[in-house]
Amino acid sequence: MKRRYLVLGLITTAFTSFGQINKKNYTKKDLYHTDVEVVFSYYNQNNDHSAVTGGIGTEDLQVYVTHLSLDNIKDSVRTVHFDLGFDVISSASTDNIDFVLSSASKVDARIYTSLGYNRLMQDKQTTWGINSSFSIESDYLSWGQSFSISHLSEDQTREVSAALQMYFDDLRWGRYQFDGIRELVYPVELRTTKWFDNYRRNSYNLALGLYQTINRRMALGIYPGLTYQSGLLSTPFHRVYFADNSKQVERLPDSRLKIPIGIQLNTFIGTCWVLRTHYRYYWDDFGISGHTLNVETPVKISRVITLTPFVRLYNQQGSDFFKPYAEHVISQEFFTSDYDLSKFRSTATGLGFRYAPYSHKGRNTLKALDLRFTHYERSDGMIANMLTLVVNYDKEQKSQ
Amino acid sequence: MKPSLLKYLLLLFFATALASCQMVKPYQRVYLNDYEMRPGYSGARGFEQYVFTIREGSSGGGGAKTSGGCGCN
Repeated sequence: MKRRYLVLGLITTAFTSFGQINKKNYTKKDLYHTDVEVVFSYYNQNNDHSAVTGGIGTEDLQVYVTHLSLDNIKDSVRTVHFDLGFDVISSASTDNIDFVLSSASKVDARIYTSLGYNRLMQDKQTTWGINSSFSIESDYLSWGQSFSISHLSEDQTREVSAALQMYFDDLRWGRYQFDGIRELVYPVELRTTKWFDNYRRNSYNLALGLYQTINRRMALGIYPGLTYQSGLLSTPFHRVYFADNSKQVERLPDSRLKIPIGIQLNTFIGTCWVLRTHYRYYWDDFGISGHTLNVETPVKISRVITLTPFVRLYNQQGSDFFKPYAEHVISQEFFTSDYDLSKFRSTATGLGFRYAPYSHKGRNTLKALDLRFTHYERSDGMIANMLTLVVNYDKEQKSQ
Repeated sequence: MKPSLLKYLLLLFFATALASCQMVKPYQRVYLNDYEMRPGYSGARGFEQYVFTIREGSSGGGGAKTSGGCGCN
């Protein structure tokens, strides 16, 4: 009797039971992130070696930089990068090109933008990227294009990368004047001669990289490069004074080959100290060679605050074409009095402050706030100061 | 120290460093993934690197871009 009721109960249960109804009351939504970086910088310098006035005269310069950088991370495969920047440049030396025409150039503006796309390939180890850039100043227009590829080893301890960058520049003045006149601008008293036929400058850079993890706390990067420039490499409004009291526009070769190699070794020491070291050797066929040593020691004074004192030492052998004011002889083929190409040593020291709070899972998250001050001194007397503020936050969005 | 000896010592150092590379598992990368351990010059470091390429003859080698833009002020 009991067995009969049990069988009846099981049959009834079997016929009345049902599974969950697939109501499909959800829609699949992908999350994507936009990494936003806003940079504000202030730069000032002063010295009395302006190339505009032949190696003498003021180099007083202030630059105010505003720069927005967006990385739109669609998923783990695709990233779109966008940059937009606006610099206001107040230059006393540029004002000495022409006291009439260039008076407006005492305050100049530089606008630049770039758009890039990176994609991780199916092997999850190779990433390729493409980037286009554009930059404009009153006396300069530059188009850039770059291609990059990187490969991460299977155990993620080694990354090799290569990037080819190309810049196509136009050095004619008058970009912000809409009357259609664009021409190379020479110093006012030297405009009776057409010094250059070419106004274009092309640059091709090959940047290679090997990033190798040494152990849990140490990583090494090796960065060789090769740059070839051709076209108008002289700056047409730089004066050169000769020993015989004559005067001409700066003249440099129409091609330049640059070979840098950089080595970076980063080490995490203990629980709160990082040692960042970077050495670079540089050589070019203008006769310039240089040694750069950069040492930074970020110290994590709490879990969210890092202080970074740093020092950068640089030693440059000057170009064969450089001589100071009124020391060139007229028989020379190439000549410049631009002290950036002279023999000098420089020292940059400073302090960085970084506040990086814990990330929160919200729609907008402040990732980091960076403040960095740099004091720069060059052995020819130049003194410069830089102050940079970077605000970095992450914006999370849902695709529709 | 002679420059050639320094060169050999540097070479020896990097050869030793590369040869002594250890396998690092994903859960052991906490120090390597730290922001300050990133290679290159990102964030606030980028602007000063750009200035150095203008004010000095050298450029490239893991720093800022090596050309494009005037920088002639």
